[in-house]
Amino acid sequence: MAPLRSWLNIESSSDFSIANIPFGIISTAVDPLPRVATAIGSLALDLHAFAQGNGFARLSTIQPHQSVFSQPTLNAFAALGRPMHRVCREYIQSILLEDGPFPDVFQNNHALQQSALIPLEECRMHLPMQIGDYTDFYAGLHHAYNVGVLFRGPQNALQPNYKHLPVGYHGRASSVVVSGTPVRRPNGQILLDPTAEPKQPVLSPCHKLDIELELGCFVCKPSKLGEPVAIGKAADYLFGLVLLNDWSARDIQAWEYVPLGPFTSKSFCTTISPWVVLMDALEPFATHGLKNDAEVLPYLDEKDRKAHYAIDLSVSLTTASDKSTVISTTSAKNLLFSFPQMLTHHTIGGCPFNVGDLLGSGTISGESASGKGCLLEQTENGKVAVQLEGGEQRSFLQDGDIITLTGRCIGENGAIVGFGSCTGRIEPALKL
Amino acid sequence: MAGSWVESGKKSDFSISNIPFGIISNDKNHLHRPAIAIGDHVLDLQGFAAAGGFAELKPSDALLSSLNQVTLNDFATLGRPVHRTVRKYIQEVLAEDTNMPNVLRDSSVLREKVLFPLSSVKNHLPMAIGDYTDFFAGRHHAFTVGSLFRGPDNALQPNYHHLPVGYHGRASSVVVSGTALHRPRGQILADPTAKPQRPTFEASKRLDIELELACFVGKGNAMGKPVSVKEASEHIFGYVLMNDWSARDIQTWEYVPLGPFNAKNFGTTISPWIVLADALNPYMTTGIANETPLLEYLQEDPGRTGFELSLEVDLAPLSGPTTTISRTSGRNLMWSFAQMIAHHTVGGCPLRAGDLLGSGTISGLNDDDRGSLLEMSKGGKTPFKLSDGSERVFLKDNDSINIRGWAGGEGASRVGFGHCSGTILPAIS
Repeated sequence: MAPLRSWLNIESSSDFSIANIPFGIISTAVDPLPRVATAIGSLALDLHAFAQGNGFARLSTIQPHQSVFSQPTLNAFAALGRPMHRVCREYIQSILLEDGPFPDVFQNNHALQQSALIPLEECRMHLPMQIGDYTDFYAGLHHAYNVGVLFRGPQNALQPNYKHLPVGYHGRASSVVVSGTPVRRPNGQILLDPTAEPKQPVLSPCHKLDIELELGCFVCKPSKLGEPVAIGKAADYLFGLVLLNDWSARDIQAWEYVPLGPFTSKSFCTTISPWVVLMDALEPFATHGLKNDAEVLPYLDEKDRKAHYAIDLSVSLTTASDKSTVISTTSAKNLLFSFPQMLTHHTIGGCPFNVGDLLGSGTISGESASGKGCLLEQTENGKVAVQLEGGEQRSFLQDGDIITLTGRCIGENGAIVGFGSCTGRIEPALKL
Repeated sequence: MAGSWVESGKKSDFSISNIPFGIISNDKNHLHRPAIAIGDHVLDLQGFAAAGGFAELKPSDALLSSLNQVTLNDFATLGRPVHRTVRKYIQEVLAEDTNMPNVLRDSSVLREKVLFPLSSVKNHLPMAIGDYTDFFAGRHHAFTVGSLFRGPDNALQPNYHHLPVGYHGRASSVVVSGTALHRPRGQILADPTAKPQRPTFEASKRLDIELELACFVGKGNAMGKPVSVKEASEHIFGYVLMNDWSARDIQTWEYVPLGPFNAKNFGTTISPWIVLADALNPYMTTGIANETPLLEYLQEDPGRTGFELSLEVDLAPLSGPTTTISRTSGRNLMWSFAQMIAHHTVGGCPLRAGDLLGSGTISGLNDDDRGSLLEMSKGGKTPFKLSDGSERVFLKDNDSINIRGWAGGEGASRVGFGHCSGTILPAIS
């Protein structure tokens, strides 16, 4: 099938083809109030201005709800539910479509184009949703296995529970920031010599600052206390995906995490990409994830449903001298559990959910040496340096390094559904 | 000490020395709004402010607006000096020997509008909670449960005395006292010795409580800007009691390596009246001594670690008398809330007004002063007796738990928390 074509000039390599239509929150110098937008090619379509200019004239179902596009977060839009997201996205595609059904709405409406189309480079991006709770899972099987081998050897790499339930921990919602926010190297307690007895920690800047390449999934439907979400219904609760970098302080983590899990080693910062790619945009790329050789309990059984997505992921490191190296490429198929399974497991005891809640997939690593989702794996806990373009080396992140995550689904017809970038630059630790 | 002109029993938690803040609604007005508790009554602060009750104080627009909200977050953000001024003013208005009798005591019209019996109001979650963190600062509890699983020599991890161990909790699961909770179902390892280990899916059979003290943050910090131990007290709004209900069997199977999760997030109960820092701070005292020399950023005055607080747990079965199953003390903590805040933010983590920090289970070292049934039943092995002779190991369906706490004895100096209660309903089928 030939790809959809827009009357707008869109680069064929753009993440924001007409097949995508993601949602985000923008502001501009001209109008500093954050508001809802979509991205198309190298432009943002300001949906607040679009609604004001009667851009939704030919979509009666959204008419009573248009104020959602004037909100400073996507929560109100998300709360309208998956059927509404679907028709809004399809409508926006239709008014951007070459030979579309309603050319007078936008294609022939130069005044509205003037007020509603803004070059992306003139937009400031904001956190797309108000996040009530953030949970990070651990569903990257190869990642979990690799780090397990590093610390416990192959026989005990995975815990007995790993394949039976999507292991997860509550994260720090206040630490989630939008791409582009500087990341300050945390100070924390570390053991300079982990083998010394007795253990004597010091307060120090983190020496083992790491990344974690993940997907984030936003929830669009609330669930009540005491009312689990069945696996067959979980998809209705999922709004869309972003890229997520769960920056990690490995030395702080090693000292603090027993027995209650990672804490300050994670809560200093977590970065997400700014454009939420809707589940409907990802549907053509639905696929199976990693095979689970354990038989999951019925409440988690998705049968043969394709609940994962073939998203090509990459990590690049740009040094302070502006040299960039792609240090990892992998696929989002490398997950043992899907987002519907994570949501179902998370609510199974009655934990309530709210619109805007965020689920992290856990670090995604492939099986090959070039597909690791974190430096801990790639460098075998600092033993083997990563070689960068221009001759520099890295074990862990240095001040001034910029990490960029990208994600892209490439359709058979060439249409790209991408995430934009999820980036952060490491700033020096606060002086102690 | 003189009390309030509002009638109050000797054992009322809400003496004139307290003045705790909460969010209420009632039959006459279903809107959620700020209030304080006094004796057996509640003073509707929104109504009081709207009727000019604060006029003598020359209140700022920000203060008036904060009393017109559905949570206390805006009020908390105004800072401790404002809380102090407002609390003092309310104490003066309510004092038996008030020098402002016209403001409320002698105005039957206003009293009718804004002073309600405690029993006639409904309490709601007092703050919008952005993040909830649970710590593990009850050393006796940590040592006892650690010993149960690893023996006394390995009871505590090497990090325990060096940093206040904590984990992020689930904010959405925090509920106000009186909210019923269903026994959670989850993955349980019925036979831990089987190889390979295969879980089953069933209702938790080891449902427990955790008696904790918790503080609400009133003032946050920017990302990347840690809060020092010294500064931390200005960031605390006030305190509540907490019950961190726990499903021990779900916890055992899931918690390695990332910590407790579904074992906790089915419900966490807090008492509805926030006791302001100024009301409770006079009862700060020494806690459990920490012999380990601390890193500088955690150094704290030992006299600020515990609270001279009586804490009690009642268990009431569906039919049968209530038994007080524990009497313990707020001194059974090894870390102060200031130390928890300093550690929580040391890497730059931002706190926000409304954030909730739990102390961790508070237990003594005796049979009758424990904060969890796991300890009371010696690891689930030894049933303990209720007052009618019946036995418990863990919670049964329809058991109600009420946690109470107070400082300052009886009468006009008593500062208490009211109830932190919940009933366990059967698991959903």
